[in-house]
Amino acid sequence: MSLTHLNARGEAHMVDVADKGETRREAVASGRITMRPETLALLAQGGLPKGDVLATARIAGIQAAKRTHELIPLCHALPLSKVAIDFHLNEAAACVEVTATCRLNGRTGVEMEALTAVSVACLTLYDMCKAVDKAMQIEALRLESKSGGQSGDYRRGVTPPAPIVTGSGEPGVVALGEAAQGSLLRVKCLAELRERLEVSEVEIALDALPSADVAGLKAALEARDAGFALLKEARILCAVNQVMGGDQTPLTEGDEVAFFPPVTGG
Amino acid sequence: MIRVQQAPFDAGAEMAALSEGRTDIGALVSFVGQVRDFNERPEVEGLTLEHYPGMTEAALAEIVTEAEARWPLQGVCLIHRVGHLTPGDPIVLVVVASAHRRAAFEACDFIMDYLKTRAPFWKKEHTASGHYWVAERHSDHQDAQRWEETP
Repeated sequence: MSLTHLNARGEAHMVDVADKGETRREAVASGRITMRPETLALLAQGGLPKGDVLATARIAGIQAAKRTHELIPLCHALPLSKVAIDFHLNEAAACVEVTATCRLNGRTGVEMEALTAVSVACLTLYDMCKAVDKAMQIEALRLESKSGGQSGDYRRGVTPPAPIVTGSGEPGVVALGEAAQGSLLRVKCLAELRERLEVSEVEIALDALPSADVAGLKAALEARDAGFALLKEARILCAVNQVMGGDQTPLTEGDEVAFFPPVTGG
Repeated sequence: MIRVQQAPFDAGAEMAALSEGRTDIGALVSFVGQVRDFNERPEVEGLTLEHYPGMTEAALAEIVTEAEARWPLQGVCLIHRVGHLTPGDPIVLVVVASAHRRAAFEACDFIMDYLKTRAPFWKKEHTASGHYWVAERHSDHQDAQRWEETP
């Protein structure tokens, strides 16, 4: 893990994104401003001296998202495709919860835009209400989720799977992998296919596959039981780790592969 | 809001929940799919709906995200039931909220077309003359195809 905004000499620099591929990026940030219950009631009734508080704070948040690059030194200027600001008046906790969602198809993430939008929306709420309540507090500004891009998806409270540890040893000693028990694939047959094959779940060793992809898995299953030949029917669909795949989809240990007929829900 | 559940749903309550406390929603369009007593064969006595836990929810979320990218929506509620159902039971609920009706109608239509062809659910029908898995329909794919041409 390294800080991408520092170069090899530890100096701040702007990351060159020209060669990064464009992907769909989305980020959601949240924060809240706590206030006296009477202030919140005035806000809800529209009784504050500066007028429509939430509409003003929403516009402020959207404007701020668009101008993030002017505030945060190493941020790129981004053509955002969507900025949405949502407010939830939480009477039990006497606060306004602010959520910002930013989206674009581009080369850099939009979490700074979402965080900036929430910050400025909260500041605007403060400004609009400060005549009646100076003790308001802006709290819990944070990223809730982001998706798209190289660093992968993030969702608050969900820890990514731990890296696979294949062995351990003293410095200078090469450790061997701890047996091949992890090199299994889990195969599921769903709906009509499960009933025709009379199989719900099977496990198969990755090294039993002639090639480490779905086509190889089908061949290995058929070698084990001729009934699996029907997996080769064109209508049978396949998902690898719950994402639609095909014969060429590569497989690695621990993958979950599901075979099923065309879907008929709704 | 996306749910896959065995229990029935209350379409009115879900619509009320989607628009509660909001005054920016000008249009609320809902669709309820129900179990028919005839399909590939007459006298359908019931059906069993199966899904692929995890992938089904993800597929539904993707369809909703796609709809939100195509139309300006203020909220979407999507509930699909699984398990054993009998004729007249509601299976699926789609509620779409938008500022204007056109977006809400179109997004609701889009979500159902994509759900029919992309979300991992399978129906097994039980009739007087036996049980069988429902086959996919060509017309469902044609319906979904309509949205490819006009992004």
